[in-house]
Amino acid sequence: MEEIMMSVKSISKSYGSNLVLKDVSMDIKKGEVVCIIGPSGSGKSTFLRCLNLLEIPTAGDIIFQDQSILNGKIKVNKYRQNVGMVFQGYYLFNLKKVIDNITMAPRSLNKKKKELAEKEACELLDKVGLLEKKDVYPSSLSGGQKQRVAIARALAMDPELLLFDEPTSALDPELVGEVLKVIKKLANDGMTMIVVTHEMGFARDVADRVIFMEGGYIVEQGTPKEIFENPQNLRTQEFLARIL
Amino acid sequence: MNLNWTDAFNNLVPSLLQGVVVVLQTTISSFLIAVVVGLLVAICRLTQLKIVKGFFATLVEIVRGTPLLVQLFYIYYVVPLILDNILKSMGNSSANIQFSAVAAGIAGLSINYGAYISEVFRSAILSIDDGQKESGLALGFTYYQVLWKIIIPQAFANSIPVLGNYLVMMIKDTSLLAIISVSELLLRTQTYASQTFETIESYTILAGVYLLLSLPLSQLMKLLEKKMKVLH
Ligand SMILES: Nc1ncnc2c1ncn2[C@@H]1O[C@H](COP(=O)(O)OP(=O)(O)OP(=O)(O)O)[C@@H](O)[C@H]1O
Ligand SMILES: [Mg+2]
Repeated sequence: MEEIMMSVKSISKSYGSNLVLKDVSMDIKKGEVVCIIGPSGSGKSTFLRCLNLLEIPTAGDIIFQDQSILNGKIKVNKYRQNVGMVFQGYYLFNLKKVIDNITMAPRSLNKKKKELAEKEACELLDKVGLLEKKDVYPSSLSGGQKQRVAIARALAMDPELLLFDEPTSALDPELVGEVLKVIKKLANDGMTMIVVTHEMGFARDVADRVIFMEGGYIVEQGTPKEIFENPQNLRTQEFLARIL
Repeated sequence: MNLNWTDAFNNLVPSLLQGVVVVLQTTISSFLIAVVVGLLVAICRLTQLKIVKGFFATLVEIVRGTPLLVQLFYIYYVVPLILDNILKSMGNSSANIQFSAVAAGIAGLSINYGAYISEVFRSAILSIDDGQKESGLALGFTYYQVLWKIIIPQAFANSIPVLGNYLVMMIKDTSLLAIISVSELLLRTQTYASQTFETIESYTILAGVYLLLSLPLSQLMKLLEKKMKVLH
């Protein structure tokens, strides 16, 4: 039986009286790649942000490696070291060179020695195809390169789970491919990932499971084949018809 | 017109050079203190605690709403009187507190510029994209680590052009310290001019010295600003 890494149990989230996540549950297994699709405002980002506690769910529970992360007994910052996140807007640290962006967290949080952290950072840069950019500042990179550095930066903490919130939505179309290629490579390496995306081709190609969200609910989930070729729910059908 | 430039140069300039030392010492200390004060006040004003926030906001408004000249007077002449009265009321009848003029000057400049610089830092911190904070948190940094390692360095870097302007302004504002008897450039020139009646020469030289101090600094700041632009 495959090991369940994270178990989301009926979480809800409201901002004031605005309920944006409604009783959402899901499990993610080690090594699984889950893609979340759905219209704008459906709560995809909010859901993802609940998983690393950038938002605190107003109800429900999240179990990570057999422990609740919402009962107040865990250190939130320590927990987050296990769960990396890549944002739509990259948010690299622009005063730091590429390599220092990557080594910063391991050096200061894991007290890794500079040489070791840099050696590992170079391996990660090599993985995302940007080793030759290690000594430049982020401002000189293209959007696609920035996002690949952001991925390397998240990987440097050696997370168990990696969250992506529309990693290619801010990119020029010709740069989308290079970022998706890196994420695909991670998937092949067995990285556990949840990817919110509008790239249906990518989801079909890489996901083990696709989740369709709308109005704060998980409307439907299944294998890419089930969701894209034979969606059961009317709203999934309408959404896919609209964007494909 | 019968001007005696040689005399003025030979006698005033050596004294002004000593004055330059005073100006530089005062400016450097005051500016460093002002930056630290400004940063701390900015951070205090960004906490969630309403009382702390309101307290520092009021303080900043008081400082910004009164002239530096009046503040210098107040610190040098009035504060010692107040302290004397307090001590006397506590039974110490021989109290006679006095600040050195330079110390009072540094205090005045630090507080005044600290208030303005706190506003600079505050808006610089607020203008850093929230995503910077979130990406730091997501890596596993605590809120305070994010503040000190990620947000403040960027806010500080973005503030450098404005800080540079304030530094140049402060050099010129040290002339106000003449009023509390710091022997900086203006006081030295006044003394010399009133003794020799070489008024035109003296004050022209004085203006020149201020220019020589501030122009290179302004240029340096422009250069620095250009360097920083590369990072954005
Ligand atoms: N901090 C907030 N305060 C109040 N409302 C919020 C906040 N963040 C999100 N919302 C609301 O929650 C709802 C879901 O937003 P969310 O960003 O999760 O949607 P999304 O599916 O990620 O959309 P998109 O595809 O546009 O990114 C929206 O109606 C949004 O207005
Ligand atoms: Mg979103």
